[in-house]
Amino acid sequence: MVRTPAWKRYNWRVIWLSLLYAAFLLPAVYGFKHKLIPEALQYLVAILPALPIIGIFFAIGRYLVEEQDEYVRMLMVRQTLWASGFALSVATIWGFLENFDLVGHADGYWVCVAWFFGLGLGNIVNKLTLGDGGC
Amino acid sequence: MFAAKQSDLTPAQRAHIRRTLWLLLAYAVVLPPLIWLRVHRHMSDLLLMLMAAVAALPVLGMFASWGRYLSDERDEYHQAMTLRRIAIATNATMGAAVVWGFLQAFGVMPLVEAYWIPFVWVIIQGTSGCIAIISRGRHGA
Repeated sequence: MVRTPAWKRYNWRVIWLSLLYAAFLLPAVYGFKHKLIPEALQYLVAILPALPIIGIFFAIGRYLVEEQDEYVRMLMVRQTLWASGFALSVATIWGFLENFDLVGHADGYWVCVAWFFGLGLGNIVNKLTLGDGGC
Repeated sequence: MFAAKQSDLTPAQRAHIRRTLWLLLAYAVVLPPLIWLRVHRHMSDLLLMLMAAVAALPVLGMFASWGRYLSDERDEYHQAMTLRRIAIATNATMGAAVVWGFLQAFGVMPLVEAYWIPFVWVIIQGTSGCIAIISRGRHGA
């Protein structure tokens, strides 16, 4: 398992963004639950926790640009492709199940949760097919 | 002119386009009767689940076709361009999904069915593909 400089930078970015996510999410949930947020600010407060997650997607993109080790980069590209295929497939199936009234509505951010789960799936596929999961 | 453009396609691209067209045809054939049945007939949950899976299958096939294309493509430039388009489409779609998701969760925006997310992905993919073709034409490549 290789820990390249680009991978280390990526990890630091993800850690900071995760902390920012927690810092935005907790007050937002508390504020909405106790009806403390004025109507004019509701959109802004609802969008704030989404920004660090979008930042994580950019961090992955940045990592792919910065990574100098072509093999490690290829592993990450394969992982992200598996993640995208998995998340979009889950969303398609769930969407049709919703449409036929078999399951309840799911908030859109669950697709991103599925995508991050798909990254793990991609790692397993890399391990099984190439013998190396990547970073 | 179309023939000339067609000959520019790599074998993997031709195979991918052929697969996608068949899947779109399957989607167009399968979806209307399913919707009609859903609206006009009372179905059991098991049958509804089967219908939902059948409706989703051609779309899943399209995602699988992209994966197949990437492993079949021998032209590294085209492969890199496709990967780039997929990365852009994925980032934009996931960004939209997470923003909309939090707006939904806090009750500010209405709920939408999850299949709109792959729809957005396909639209962004297609749009960036069109932009690439137009800009290539403009530069004479």
